[in-house]
Amino acid sequence: MKKALVLLLCLVMTLTSVFAQGASEPKADEPITLEFWTHEDSARQVLEERYIEEFKQLHPNVTVNVTRQSAEKLRELIQTAFASGEGPSFFNLPIENEFQYIEAGRVAPADYKTLGFKDAKDLLANYQDGMIDAVYYDGDVYGLPLELTNWSIFLNKKVFRDAGLDPEKDYPKTWEEMKEVSKKIVIRDGDIITRRGFDFRYSYELTYFIPMVEQLGGSLSEKDGCVNKEAWVKALTFMKEWGPQGENLGNPTLTAARKLFNKDNNDIAMCNTGLYQEARILSDNAAFYNSGEWMVVPYPVFEDAVKDVAGCYYGHFYMVNADKPKAEQQMAWELIKYFLLTEGHAEEYLTQVGLIQPTKALMEGATYAAQPYSEVFKNDFARSHIVYYGKGATEIQSAINSAIKQVMLQGTDPSVAYDALQKNVLEILAD
Amino acid sequence: MKHEKKFSIEKQQAKWGFAFTIPCLLFFAVFSFYPIISAFITSLTNRDAIKRTWDFIGLDNYVYLFTQSNGGFSLINSLKATGIFTIGTFIPMVVVSLILAVMIMQLRKPGQSKMFELAFYTPAVLSSVVAATIWMILFQPTGLFNQLSNFVMRSSGRDFQWLTNDNMLRISTIIVYFWKYIGYFTILFITGLASIPPTIYEAAIVDGSSRWHTFWKITLPLLKPTIMLVSIMAMLQCLKTFSTQYMFVQGGTAREPIDVITMNIYYTGVVNRRLGRSSAMSIILFVIMLFFTFLQFKTQKGDEDVEY
Amino acid sequence: MNNNKFVGKVGVGEVITYIVLILVLIFTILPLVFMVTAAFMDAKQIMSMPYTWIPSKKYFTSESRTFFTNFQKAILGNHGEKIFFTNLLNSLVVALTCSITTVLMASLCGYGLAKFNFKGKTLVFMLIMSTMMIPFEAIMIPLYLVASKFKLINTIPGLIIPFLVSAFGVFQMRQYLLTFPSEYLDAARVDGLGEFKIYYKIVLPNSTPVIATLGILSFRNQWDNLLWPLLCSQAEKMKTVPLYISKFAEEKQTDEGALMACALLASIPMFILFFSLSKYFLGGAAVYESRKG
Repeated sequence: MKKALVLLLCLVMTLTSVFAQGASEPKADEPITLEFWTHEDSARQVLEERYIEEFKQLHPNVTVNVTRQSAEKLRELIQTAFASGEGPSFFNLPIENEFQYIEAGRVAPADYKTLGFKDAKDLLANYQDGMIDAVYYDGDVYGLPLELTNWSIFLNKKVFRDAGLDPEKDYPKTWEEMKEVSKKIVIRDGDIITRRGFDFRYSYELTYFIPMVEQLGGSLSEKDGCVNKEAWVKALTFMKEWGPQGENLGNPTLTAARKLFNKDNNDIAMCNTGLYQEARILSDNAAFYNSGEWMVVPYPVFEDAVKDVAGCYYGHFYMVNADKPKAEQQMAWELIKYFLLTEGHAEEYLTQVGLIQPTKALMEGATYAAQPYSEVFKNDFARSHIVYYGKGATEIQSAINSAIKQVMLQGTDPSVAYDALQKNVLEILAD
Repeated sequence: MKHEKKFSIEKQQAKWGFAFTIPCLLFFAVFSFYPIISAFITSLTNRDAIKRTWDFIGLDNYVYLFTQSNGGFSLINSLKATGIFTIGTFIPMVVVSLILAVMIMQLRKPGQSKMFELAFYTPAVLSSVVAATIWMILFQPTGLFNQLSNFVMRSSGRDFQWLTNDNMLRISTIIVYFWKYIGYFTILFITGLASIPPTIYEAAIVDGSSRWHTFWKITLPLLKPTIMLVSIMAMLQCLKTFSTQYMFVQGGTAREPIDVITMNIYYTGVVNRRLGRSSAMSIILFVIMLFFTFLQFKTQKGDEDVEY
Repeated sequence: MNNNKFVGKVGVGEVITYIVLILVLIFTILPLVFMVTAAFMDAKQIMSMPYTWIPSKKYFTSESRTFFTNFQKAILGNHGEKIFFTNLLNSLVVALTCSITTVLMASLCGYGLAKFNFKGKTLVFMLIMSTMMIPFEAIMIPLYLVASKFKLINTIPGLIIPFLVSAFGVFQMRQYLLTFPSEYLDAARVDGLGEFKIYYKIVLPNSTPVIATLGILSFRNQWDNLLWPLLCSQAEKMKTVPLYISKFAEEKQTDEGALMACALLASIPMFILFFSLSKYFLGGAAVYESRKG
């Protein structure tokens, strides 16, 4: 009995010591393998695969392994990989998930020389003022933006006319109108919704819901949590009235509005999404795209809004793993540069994938202006700010999501839901 | 090596017996014991997935879990969710599968019993991902299950809120699980029933006892070990449930009502980066499962010798 | 139930039995029928009320070919890479290897525990059993650490090695072999057969039913495994079927029809296995009967 125990303990000890040793560093002159982890996007995949082929011709010693995951899986995977000290050479995530890597020193400052800039200031000057400030930390820039995206409202004109509305005139400018219009569009069989006017993009509360709160005078702050109870309760009440406990216009368990939108099946009139949706409509349903039966309208505000705020914009930034050997890091920046900064690539990302790199050259150029409804997005950009990416962003988002589901699905009183939310948010922030 | 001469056959054999278990022991040492010890050590730290350094904080994680809300998804709520799911699933499952097994055993045509066995078992061969995918569509307000509910309740256009209402959501996860595993447990009981020597029944029939009486007085007591084994297996499986709830939440349902411990571990550790806290939850789950198994061993002690 | 005594051979009891069994049958089969029929429909028909069960004829005409596009989408994925078959192959390789190694290691260990006496046997048994209580989520991250140190991430061995054997397998083999007549073993020893030879010449061949049941069980478990592949296989070509489906389900142009087609395709190998080896799936009974015989 004792023997077995001792043996087992010995085993465990040896194993522990084996695993405690780090991996050896590869030498700089050897062929370089880049691990590139990114989220699924079929149009971008086509484009970047071409870039990678071209890049390999320029650098024959480089192999690039690409790993594509759905956005949510990617975030979890990268965290797990970093936790075990592994991780890709470079990757991208939304800024609200990515900022923590900068704070923890897990990603490397930009290699300005490789990228062709003098210094951080020079790099920042390439972009629209303030738009990539999120990755400017302690005097260095830590990532290059693949996209900066904001969401406006996509609208199906046919469904509007089918409900007896004139899309050009009757499109909702306020949230109250959004509710009224949706009431006219919605079709139900008993309680069962078969056609929706609009539905929210649930589980992205930091992007679509915080601006609604802000319009009413509230905010989310890293110091005080959910500021201004009155505004929050009002916004939550709006959500409650939207859901099955109120007017029954939509809810988070139904198929995501933006997925239905492209199919043009007369089951959704409006959805909340970014410019990239245009490329997706084209690839999913070219007939609908070409019919011109869709349009984009600005992000609504509340009638009694105290502040004009549109949906937040978020960014995906390419960042380089600071734990990798210097040569690998440099090559990663080299490839990022090839992706993003090569002449004409920004325009291709825009026209073929619908991604906006916030460079001055692109956003003030002719290609951007020629993109359908880019003006709407540009105007919404002007009245929006970047998404909350501070402490506990992911957890706070789930807490808000949970509060919204409580009021919508379980009929919790918005004031009670707010109190619980505020307690949770403060607790997350205090940790 | 002086003792070698003294080695009797038994000692030789003991060596062989131990040698045979070594591959498995080695395997479990690396892939179970090492990780769980490592998880226990992590549970005493404030380790974060991304931060490079962490400190030992003693039992703070455990204290936190029992006193704080973990960002709105508290351990207490998870214990409740797991408890509701486990009790709501394994008791009906054991009872119903036992009844079904008895019913199938009574069918006189072997072809029929075979058909029912096959049909009941089929859902169990689907992967959980497929099962959850199918049921997420069925539970939609426009989906088949809601239509059937309207048909059964003789109502029309009613939304039974299979995925939106708190309690209905809990029931939905139970239904999926029940659907997937009912056949599996029925087969386990059939196995148990088949192992009861037919002579016992024959004797009972000669005695003139009714079927009901036979079942109650003879079958059930003889089946007790099987029932215990199946119950504990079903219960442990329910305590470990993950994929159904996970797929549901991914599909947009509320998390709280079905936030079972395993899912909370996943969200706290993998999504929210708090490895220390999530490890503490893992250890708590481990202890709970150990406790129930221990309880089962205790109560089963007396029955262990029953073999037939 | 009081009047059971008076019930004849084809009485109320039997009728109730059939009614209950048929109701449960409908409950278990309906979702499967739904999956199969929906695989041939477009999203609109699937979500229409009431559900129509029979795919509209127009899906099978040469212009619309919905039945075809659903499966085409399912196989091609969203990027037309035909990665589905690679993933299917991965799943098969992983599940098959795991079921073989589980049988071998579990039978060896189970044999050692059932038929030998050595110091610490109970401890060894309890230790192995206790691993059944470890939830996978608890050891997921440490395991990832182990796997990445051994460079197993993104490899097929990485998917296999953590599941070489299961404690439940050891338990099952031990329980079975406890009742294995020791006289056979002693006779073989008298004949001068070595211990290891006894194991693979006598014990293994005489355990076929339990081996088949165990092999199938671990095949099914691996076929179903989601969490570990989620972490371990990152490259497209290293993924397994459950990952393929869950990714497919999240994709943008996925509609319910294609999703059900994908689910159906992913289930076909298991269905084939199940219906051809149903004896062993439903095999508990067979195990005990063969032992009696």
